[in-house]
Amino acid sequence: MDIDKIAEVVETSNSEFVAQCYELEGVPALGSMVKTRGKEGDIYGIVYTSATHSIEPGRRITARGHKAASDADIFKENPQLAKLLCSDFHALVVGHKHGKAVYQYLPPSPASVYAFVYSCKPDEVRLFTQSLNFLSLLLDSKLPVATDEVIAAFLRYASRAHPTPQDFLVGAGKELAWLLSNDIRRLDSILKRLTQ
Amino acid sequence: MTLDITQVYSQIEAMAGELKSHQAEFARKLDTAVATLKTASANQSTLEKKLEKARATWLVAGLKEDMGLRRAAPACPPDFIVSASDGSHIDVDRHHSARLFLLNLGLVHIQYGSRPDAELTTVPKLYFGDDVIAIRSADGREELIQGPLLGIVRGVEECRCLADDVCASEAALPAVGLIDGSLIMWGLVGQRFEDYVIEYLLDKGLLQQLDRFYGLSKKRQAAVASYISFPRSTDVVNVLRLQVCPYDPVDCDRHCKGKFEGRECDAVGGLTDRAVFDRLLSEGERSALFVSTSSIIERYGVHRVCFFYVKLDSEVARVEVPLWVADKEQLLDLVHAVVVDQCKKGFGYPVTLSEAHEQAVVTGADRQQFWDLVDRVMQEGDLSVEQSLKQRSKKVRWI
Repeated sequence: MDIDKIAEVVETSNSEFVAQCYELEGVPALGSMVKTRGKEGDIYGIVYTSATHSIEPGRRITARGHKAASDADIFKENPQLAKLLCSDFHALVVGHKHGKAVYQYLPPSPASVYAFVYSCKPDEVRLFTQSLNFLSLLLDSKLPVATDEVIAAFLRYASRAHPTPQDFLVGAGKELAWLLSNDIRRLDSILKRLTQ
Repeated sequence: MTLDITQVYSQIEAMAGELKSHQAEFARKLDTAVATLKTASANQSTLEKKLEKARATWLVAGLKEDMGLRRAAPACPPDFIVSASDGSHIDVDRHHSARLFLLNLGLVHIQYGSRPDAELTTVPKLYFGDDVIAIRSADGREELIQGPLLGIVRGVEECRCLADDVCASEAALPAVGLIDGSLIMWGLVGQRFEDYVIEYLLDKGLLQQLDRFYGLSKKRQAAVASYISFPRSTDVVNVLRLQVCPYDPVDCDRHCKGKFEGRECDAVGGLTDRAVFDRLLSEGERSALFVSTSSIIERYGVHRVCFFYVKLDSEVARVEVPLWVADKEQLLDLVHAVVVDQCKKGFGYPVTLSEAHEQAVVTGADRQQFWDLVDRVMQEGDLSVEQSLKQRSKKVRWI
């Protein structure tokens, strides 16, 4: 059994995929990088939102902890809850791998449904972010969450995979300055969020 | 055309007004009933002799404990299992050429304590073929399984599913299997079904499954019980009717034939058992145990159905258990403790039963999808699919 897999693709399109986690609340961090499989090879995505909710759309989670000492006690006293809830996340596709080559644009085909999803290892993140060509893809995305938060979270996360995180962030800042040369306010907002 | 609610509104208002006018009388009857129960409890041996000789037209509960008993809920064991089953079905469609029905069973198994765990499963079963969709006697008579009979068949399968689960559960842990509704097969009472049908559904059906629980209870602490929410039964109120009846022996046909009001026993008439025990019990308490005297119970043997009422946060429920559970204090206490605990966790209704229901439910959309699938697969197999024109006219609403 593959113990490194964290989730499985349950919805997929060319530009993003949704993955349901095996563990409740086992979602990867906002802005972190994950990979999954498509027809042509690995597909890389950046986590832009996650949620824990009822498996069935019509059923709402109800507060149960009025007399419980902790939230862990709620699950202990109601073991069925773990089977009725699920955690999932959405990832924006930022690149793919074909053979040994890594490309920072959308793959020809979406991720495969039921494909396993893994958190990228630091080496993979470092290699992928040696070039930041995909930043424009991120900047231009219309996400249902604050895109700039996702960009800043990703850059903070990616910097930790580099031997000199500060140098990476400076390089990312320069790339952003060029891409957002006509939107100084947005640039300033993102740069302020890069502080570790 | 849709319902014209404005036309109905004034009728609903009138109904509410009439019900309100009955409230004072209801309160008086309830006071009388509670007082009568206390009197009966104080002289129970006299009442029991009266009950033995009585010929009443109502179903009167048998007495097993002091009528006035109130028992607080015991604590649940540190580790225990609760399983529950429920079901729904897609009935035979007489407008469709394929003769089949579907049972959808929901099963929930929850282990509480130091190793909490849960399994929620749904088991759909398709039944087709002449051998399966009818109950047959040895001499060739048959009763098609559809309508109310299908509901009874489903009940037996729910019990089978529950017995399978409890019998396979961890032997070291106390276990309770819960069923929604009554253990008494009310649908078989009366002359509606012939004996071979009753034998199939009860003797070789439900009672065989209860036998499995009984056998298990000899090896470990395991019980089965059924839970009835908002019960409308009056078995115990009917005991109070006999208590206040001035005649001894009680003989309704002889003394009150043709009378439906103005009798002495009407002082407690119109009440339900749950109303009486709602007044008597405190939250978590159970009432005394009673025994059902329904005619069908004669066939139940060791599984003769006993019942008690339990007061919960928002209602009084009726819990039914086989006699072998009622006779063993440890099992009865386990059922009582589990029911109260389950209702706390389930916001007033046993959580395992409500989750079993969720696993079993078949929506209107599911039904339509099922029949569409049947049609498609049969057509792909070059089998003819016929529908009545009436059914077709419902699908295409033309003017």
